[in-house]
Amino acid sequence: MIDVILHALPIAIVASTPLLLAVEGELVVQRSGIINLGIEGMMLTAAMTAVLAQQATKSVLAGFAGGVLGALFVAAIFGLFAIRYRADQIVTGTAINLLALGLTGFVYKAAGGLIFSASPVREVAQYAVVLFAWIAVPIALALLLWMTRFGLRLRASGENPDAVRHAQRYRWSALAIEALLIGMGGAYLSLALSSGFAENMTAGRGFIALSIVIFGRWKVRGAIVGTALFGVAAALQYTLQAMNIGLPFHLLLAVPYVVTLLILCGIAGRVRAPEALGRRD
Amino acid sequence: MKAVAAAIAAILLLSLSALAFGRSPVELLNILVTGSVGSRFAIEGTLLKSVPLLLTGLSVALAFRAGVWNIGGEGQFIVGAIVAIVASRYGVIASLAAAMLAGAVWASIATAMRLWRNAPEVLTTILLNFTAIHLLGWCVNGPLQERGAQYPQTDVAAVALPQAGDVHAGILIAVAASVAAWFLLYRTAEGLRLRATGFNARAAKWAGIDVDRQLVRAMAISGALAGLAGGIELLGVTHRLFERFAAGYGYSGIAVALLAQLHPLATIASAIFFGALATGAGELQRTADISSNVAIFGQAVVILVLILFGSWRARD
Repeated sequence: MIDVILHALPIAIVASTPLLLAVEGELVVQRSGIINLGIEGMMLTAAMTAVLAQQATKSVLAGFAGGVLGALFVAAIFGLFAIRYRADQIVTGTAINLLALGLTGFVYKAAGGLIFSASPVREVAQYAVVLFAWIAVPIALALLLWMTRFGLRLRASGENPDAVRHAQRYRWSALAIEALLIGMGGAYLSLALSSGFAENMTAGRGFIALSIVIFGRWKVRGAIVGTALFGVAAALQYTLQAMNIGLPFHLLLAVPYVVTLLILCGIAGRVRAPEALGRRD
Repeated sequence: MKAVAAAIAAILLLSLSALAFGRSPVELLNILVTGSVGSRFAIEGTLLKSVPLLLTGLSVALAFRAGVWNIGGEGQFIVGAIVAIVASRYGVIASLAAAMLAGAVWASIATAMRLWRNAPEVLTTILLNFTAIHLLGWCVNGPLQERGAQYPQTDVAAVALPQAGDVHAGILIAVAASVAAWFLLYRTAEGLRLRATGFNARAAKWAGIDVDRQLVRAMAISGALAGLAGGIELLGVTHRLFERFAAGYGYSGIAVALLAQLHPLATIASAIFFGALATGAGELQRTADISSNVAIFGQAVVILVLILFGSWRARD
């Protein structure tokens, strides 16, 4: 069993890098009091804009920048409704997901169903993103959220926005940080993990990320442990597939979602969410 | 009234988006309208699409009224249809009853996780959608695959709903369901408890309502309606199952319910509107080569415009 897990670990780390970026982004935004259910649509849009930008410029860096821009665009719409107009966040998030699904599908069809990346991302660049997601971002977030005045106020906006001057500004900042991370995650997904964009290619990663944020109890360490745990469990599907133990392929495809459901059930007991999370005030 | 304005605004926005692709908005609007209500054939298509939308819309309306975030219509729709095809050899009524039961059970997994482990249903229901999609994939490639095993689909169901032209009897069931849902919500004590729970769970608790029990019931009824939608779509339209059977009806139910301001009777009009949009979008794809994803885009625009108009407040 240990063998199997060790075998799955490297795959797990690489394959769940976009997921980790999403988890980190959602962690920041939820700490500021906003539930962004539109994270799925944000990532899907980023995956597409990243490939389009890379196609246009033949540069991987520009591809990642394109992903971030796409995510920022979606974040702006989400923020306009959820922060500015104080609309219900779950409803807004759902609308954002439909919007992204419709728009990307629209463009995908217009492009004749062929949106391939211009060239594969070099291994060095791939590992740079992996290290960024698993080491640099967690340290940066831990420092930013818990060691700076900005971080304190951001978290206070998530606990008691009335006690913070300009709480909405901190929420907008949190949303921008989330878009940055998710834009990179989406770009990594379409440029490094696949060879282009496919319809609905995020396949629920955004919702899995939301679940892991809760499982990790809104802490950076919990986010990493949760993602790693999920990553290994999900990578086991490839190992099981290779071992050919007779579990049907289509049922193995359901493994990540069932694992996430189990992860969500692992939060038993008292979980303390940020006090103002999801409230419309 | 604001809802009607929102729907019109969304359609106008949608046609204006044609400019981005260098097409004429008028031409686009024209295809949308003639493709959805311009002929007998188009109207029948619109009605056919409205039936599952009405039921999934009711499913969402009931759940949201009770303050339960059931985003799992898609999964409940699929599981309902899977069980319906298995039970179809026992007749139409048994098949549809089994579909309702299956939808209710699938939704209740989320309720159980919420009550026992405090897992938020907004996420568990979505995750159960993905699980159901792969379950369907396994069924049509494995145990339920057609004899001959040529394509990933099931055999034709043993029974079908009675039809008049292209329109099947499911439309009567769906309309009856919305009247029943209205009666339940506004004319019974149970409905009052459900709405009270959704309006303010803490106050409902103080008033002596068992909030957990309301959650269980709302989710089960909501799941049953989505399951019924799946069963009716199977026995009335597709007659067999295949991988992309659900086609987003579960998610579309959210837009349907929101446009109807979560009112069961208004849901009928809302479902016909979105049914027309989907049918018109199909025509756009055929004649103007514009992706039918326009319909999904339209749903999003409607929800956002409704928020802008401030006509929809959470659970009031």
